[in-house]
Amino acid sequence: MIHVQGLTKHYADLRRGRFVALDGLSLHALPGQVYGLLGPNGAGKTTALRILSTVLKPSEGTAVVNGYDVVRQPSDVRRQIGFMSANTAIYDRMTAWEMVEYFGRLHGIQPGDLKQRMEALFQRLKMNDIRDVLGAKMSTGMRQKVSIARTIVHDPPVLIFDEATAGLDVLVARALLNTVAELRDQGKCIIFSTHIMREAEKLCDRVAIMHRGQILAEGTVDELRAHYEENDLEEIFFQLISHHDDLLAPVAVQDLV
Amino acid sequence: MNLTNVRLILARELRDQLRDRRTLFMIFVLPVLLYPLLGVAYFQMVQFQTQKPMNVLVIGGGELASSPTPLIENDGFSPRLFADGELGAELLKLDLVADLSPSHGATPTLQEQQAEASRLVQLKTYDAAVVFPPDFAKQVEAYRRAILDDAGASGSRRAKRAETPIAEIPRPKIIYTTANERSQIAFARLNMVLDHWTEEVGKKNLIAGGISTQAVHPFEVDSSDLAEKTSLRGANLWSRILPILLLLWAMTGAFYPAVDLCAGEKERGTLETLLSSPAERSEIVVGKLLTVMVFSMLTAALNLISVGTTGTLIFHHLEGVGGPPLLSIVWLAAASIPVSALFSALCIALASFARSTREGQYYLMPLLMISLPLAMMPMSPGVELNLGNSLIPISGIVLLLKTLLEGSYLQALQYLPVVLAVTLAACWLAVRWAVEQFNSESVLFREGERFSVGMWVRQLMRDRRATPSAAQATVCGIVILMVSFIFRSSIAAPDGFNGFARVTVTLQLMSIALPALLMASILTSSPRRTLLLRLPHWPMIPAAAVLAVGLHPFIMAATAGIERLYPISSEMKHLLDGMESMFASANAWYLILALAVVPAICEEIAFRGFILSGFRGMGNNWRAIVLSAVFFGVTHGFLQQSINACLLGIVLGYLAVQSSSLLPGIVFHLLHNTLTVASTWITPAVFDRYPSLGMLMRPVDGNGPAFLWPVYFFGGLISLLVLYWLVRFPQAGNAREARGNALEQTAIAPSPAAVECYVSCGLD
Repeated sequence: MIHVQGLTKHYADLRRGRFVALDGLSLHALPGQVYGLLGPNGAGKTTALRILSTVLKPSEGTAVVNGYDVVRQPSDVRRQIGFMSANTAIYDRMTAWEMVEYFGRLHGIQPGDLKQRMEALFQRLKMNDIRDVLGAKMSTGMRQKVSIARTIVHDPPVLIFDEATAGLDVLVARALLNTVAELRDQGKCIIFSTHIMREAEKLCDRVAIMHRGQILAEGTVDELRAHYEENDLEEIFFQLISHHDDLLAPVAVQDLV
Repeated sequence: MNLTNVRLILARELRDQLRDRRTLFMIFVLPVLLYPLLGVAYFQMVQFQTQKPMNVLVIGGGELASSPTPLIENDGFSPRLFADGELGAELLKLDLVADLSPSHGATPTLQEQQAEASRLVQLKTYDAAVVFPPDFAKQVEAYRRAILDDAGASGSRRAKRAETPIAEIPRPKIIYTTANERSQIAFARLNMVLDHWTEEVGKKNLIAGGISTQAVHPFEVDSSDLAEKTSLRGANLWSRILPILLLLWAMTGAFYPAVDLCAGEKERGTLETLLSSPAERSEIVVGKLLTVMVFSMLTAALNLISVGTTGTLIFHHLEGVGGPPLLSIVWLAAASIPVSALFSALCIALASFARSTREGQYYLMPLLMISLPLAMMPMSPGVELNLGNSLIPISGIVLLLKTLLEGSYLQALQYLPVVLAVTLAACWLAVRWAVEQFNSESVLFREGERFSVGMWVRQLMRDRRATPSAAQATVCGIVILMVSFIFRSSIAAPDGFNGFARVTVTLQLMSIALPALLMASILTSSPRRTLLLRLPHWPMIPAAAVLAVGLHPFIMAATAGIERLYPISSEMKHLLDGMESMFASANAWYLILALAVVPAICEEIAFRGFILSGFRGMGNNWRAIVLSAVFFGVTHGFLQQSINACLLGIVLGYLAVQSSSLLPGIVFHLLHNTLTVASTWITPAVFDRYPSLGMLMRPVDGNGPAFLWPVYFFGGLISLLVLYWLVRFPQAGNAREARGNALEQTAIAPSPAAVECYVSCGLD
């Protein structure tokens, strides 16, 4: 469903000059599976997911989403996906209904079908009481519900969640994770990035631990536990990151003596 | 492009803006309130506006109170000398003194009096001073008596007397300073009073001489202003106000919604949401552009309606002025569409570059700085709608509107297609720019970063590429422009050819070649590749030479055409004529060295070397050629030369791109300049000496020779053949190089793993 091969992205800024944000990333995610991308801030998760959602273009490498190439067929890719991230906000001057309807129409759903879908969606996500509330007047939880509704209104086969629980309280985060699990059970292919290990342990069928644009380890949570002989995923994460940083650190002069 | 998506985006953005109080205030509330309030404020200010009296020191004018035509009455100037009588006289408060005694107590000389008066005016003790010479009143009276005596004398004595003029009366002096506004007003009032008084004294003298005072003005000239009797006077006034207002408000009305729709969306995080939807970037831009256009047109329309209504109320009592002509509504409405489209696209492109609404608002000022002079230029006296002016974006449409509002429909109709074509072309370029901005990741996801010069310099050194970036090329162009400007402004005009040659060569070396060479060696890892310092495929050299000769008649014709469109001012013409006569006496080889060889090398290094290489990094050769040509043009001294150089720059840029070498361009440039210099030598005398020249060209007064049609025919044919060969020239190396440059800078490369992945996914 999602095939990524050798994905690389270069950036440039004043401090670092030209640097690699993604360094040959490869992954494969299948339908009915939540694929977790774990990594600290700056690991390259957001860059990878922005490339998968065609918001950014890769410097090198290939990504194919539900049979469509992100560089050659970006419009087709966007029709196949629902993309939600901590950065994808909702409009302040639109009501919840207007916002979801707008994105439904952009996805080409006819008004009649769209109304039926939206009624069902608002019922399912318990959003009927915020139908006519403007985005500016909504709480964070309400906004997140609208974002989810906007992401799945066109029933896409692929869903991409980038740090979707960041900044949410426990209740809202739990509700969102439940929705993701439901979507997985419906056969959607889901990529879910987070830096909260407990979320990954509970939700993800496969996880990839990313650092400095590379995948350091990949497999099911149980496979990782077995391979690293450690039950705690967070501990595995720390070991991998520290080991990787140690390898990249410049060798101290006293070590050479 | 999916029009449904455009419509959806347009509808959403319109609704979004209409729910924004700031937008509603700017578009609906401000225009409705602003002009009526300004009208009320104007009337209030007029009521409170009073003229302040000025303090004037009068030295030695006391005796003028008792003269037959008194200047002074009751310690002030005589009210009869003012148009408004007593009121006018009260505005000049006089301090009458016989003299200003210096410290040593002796009788002061006239010079000492004037020096002391000047000191007091400088110290602002007085706003101005009038110093009458000693015995001034007596001398005026003596003059009058001499005329009286002459009047009583016999005819022969009078005739003899007329041959020996009466002794000149010494001049009184007004002392004031233009550094002080009050002093300038005082001077104007004093000048008027003394003029009236001198006129009165003159009349008295005429009467004393037995001549009618009418002798000075034997008849009056009557005038008749047709505009007063028709509505043309009003049309003229409104034709100066309304086009500027339309432009200003169309720009302001576009700017704030554009900032909210682009920078605001980035700031609020909704842009990424929209970018991940199926809408294409071009659909998003067009949807937003149409929204901004609607608000731009609405703002302009409401402001114009409001100013028209307020103006009608204020001016209705002025005969022949009144409100704007009714037909102006039609012209303004029609013009508002392209004007709003142009500003909307420019604003969208600028606003998409901003990270936040606050940053976006800073970009209004550069837009104003560029647009305002273009909008104000047509309001200068004597500027009218012609082919040259209608080719200037913004100015053309303002002039067209002005002409339409003045009722000169035939003239307007004549240039309507040109203005429309230029405005639409500018719109198209602006829309393309806006779409490109939306396709640029570096623009859409530009993040705030702490800037420090040290970090920037380190980055320049650390990330040196083989060729410069577009930004570095732009900086190089600006540096060349600035250094050339400073150089030209700071040196004195050379008085002979040797001085001229020295200045020209120094300017070329120091202001044009040196910045490019320094930047190439400091900022790039391969100055040789940057400056195209390589040998071309050998036929390129003769091809460039043949092209220079073949195109020369056309370039000369273009020069003449440009000068017809934008005539050279008489001062500039005089200067150029002076230079031509200077060249005529100069040694031909030195002349070619200074005006052809040195510029060909220096300008090619800078414009086709560093600057073109930098712009080629953007991945589009034609854009790079045009941009480098624009810089090449602007560096030239005056407008007519700049346009010509810009066109020439396109040919030179194309040669550089096709040959991947600087050498063909240098050969073309050298030959072109040499032929241009040589054309100044072909005077009518040369035709007399070599009659066979008449088969190729004919002399034209003041403009060098003009070529005959066979020259154009063969020149055009040869040029077309060379260009055909150049276009078909195998340029695999060039294409590879251009792509390499682009990839190096945008970092989008085909993936080596792509094939494997495509095969595994069943894609081609």
